[in-house]
Amino acid sequence: MQASEDELRRLMIGGLDGSAVDHAALLRLLAPLLRAFCRRRCGDDEVEDLVQETLIAVHTRRSTYDRDRPFTAWLFSIARYKTIDHFRRNRRYHPMEGLEEILVAEGFEDASIARMDVEDLLEILPPKQARMIRATRIDGMTMAEAADADGISESDVKISVHRGLKTLMAKIQGGRR
Amino acid sequence: MNTDDLINSLSADVPPVRRGAVGRRIAFGLAAGALVSAGWVVLRFGVRPDLGAAMLGFPFWMKWAYTLSLSLAALFMTAQLARPDSQRLRGLWLIAIPALLLAGVGATELIRTPQTEWLAMWLGHSWKQCPWRVLGLAMPIFVGLLWSFRRLAPTRLRAAGAAAGLAAGAFAATVYCLHCPEVSAIFVLTWYTLGILLATSLGALIGPRVLRW
Repeated sequence: MQASEDELRRLMIGGLDGSAVDHAALLRLLAPLLRAFCRRRCGDDEVEDLVQETLIAVHTRRSTYDRDRPFTAWLFSIARYKTIDHFRRNRRYHPMEGLEEILVAEGFEDASIARMDVEDLLEILPPKQARMIRATRIDGMTMAEAADADGISESDVKISVHRGLKTLMAKIQGGRR
Repeated sequence: MNTDDLINSLSADVPPVRRGAVGRRIAFGLAAGALVSAGWVVLRFGVRPDLGAAMLGFPFWMKWAYTLSLSLAALFMTAQLARPDSQRLRGLWLIAIPALLLAGVGATELIRTPQTEWLAMWLGHSWKQCPWRVLGLAMPIFVGLLWSFRRLAPTRLRAAGAAAGLAAGAFAATVYCLHCPEVSAIFVLTWYTLGILLATSLGALIGPRVLRW
């Protein structure tokens, strides 16, 4: 289970207020997140080095986090900077064949933020609608499979998904205004 | 070192951070540098003898309004660029306002002055020294800001260097007003601004090198 933006942000602010417990909990949650981030960008033997450099940067530069802004955007900005810096220092010429993987990995950050967002969004829905959307739109089940799994009729699944998506659309468009 | 041990040792030292810590740190670096610059002005150039009287007149406050407002706009940029997530800069246009206002004053000045005196007014008595002195006085302030940046996290190093250079140049010009007896708006608009731009360019040039972390 991946920690949510809200959870990470709460721990970060706790740490800024002087709570060593919150700060330690934050760094522990960040380690796997950063490991996944780094693994897509550099060789296996370098991952742990890069994770540690980034954790140190998060710690020593923590005063630059603005409590009113998203935490993950701040975190990944530091992680991206540290990754680029790491490349510059350790191998000035990055081999062309690795380039593709790095470019592909660019989507990772968006994907992890998106995953957090989706989880947050689904929480506002009634449990049945959220479950049906997760089954049919994220886990890739068909309407019939989802109906079987939940022991309800197929049209009930369709209606739940439809109503749920409608609520989400209204929420997102409302939020953008 | 294994990552868990690292996390434990990092978590042993968690001093509280107050809101506005970034702004305070930048202000502190700027003030420390400015003190050195002010000392330099007092000892090397000398405070203008008529400072008390000049502070009652319009030109002195016009110069201070220009350089101080430019400093504030530059510091606002610097504070944003000191954070890692600074992709979108807010208020970049603020920098243009002091220059436009001063240009307005300069235009009025030109209209009121006969054309034969324009050149003398534009060059003043110190046009050759002015930009270089502003650039020189910007150095201690720039160094002060570099100190501030040691605990900050810029990710756009060239832009951050330029913003710090602009702030240092504009504040150096503020300090230089203690000495400089020039009164014309077009003098300030040209030669002060030239010195400030030199400091900005220098900041942009060396930013990627000196701001790395």
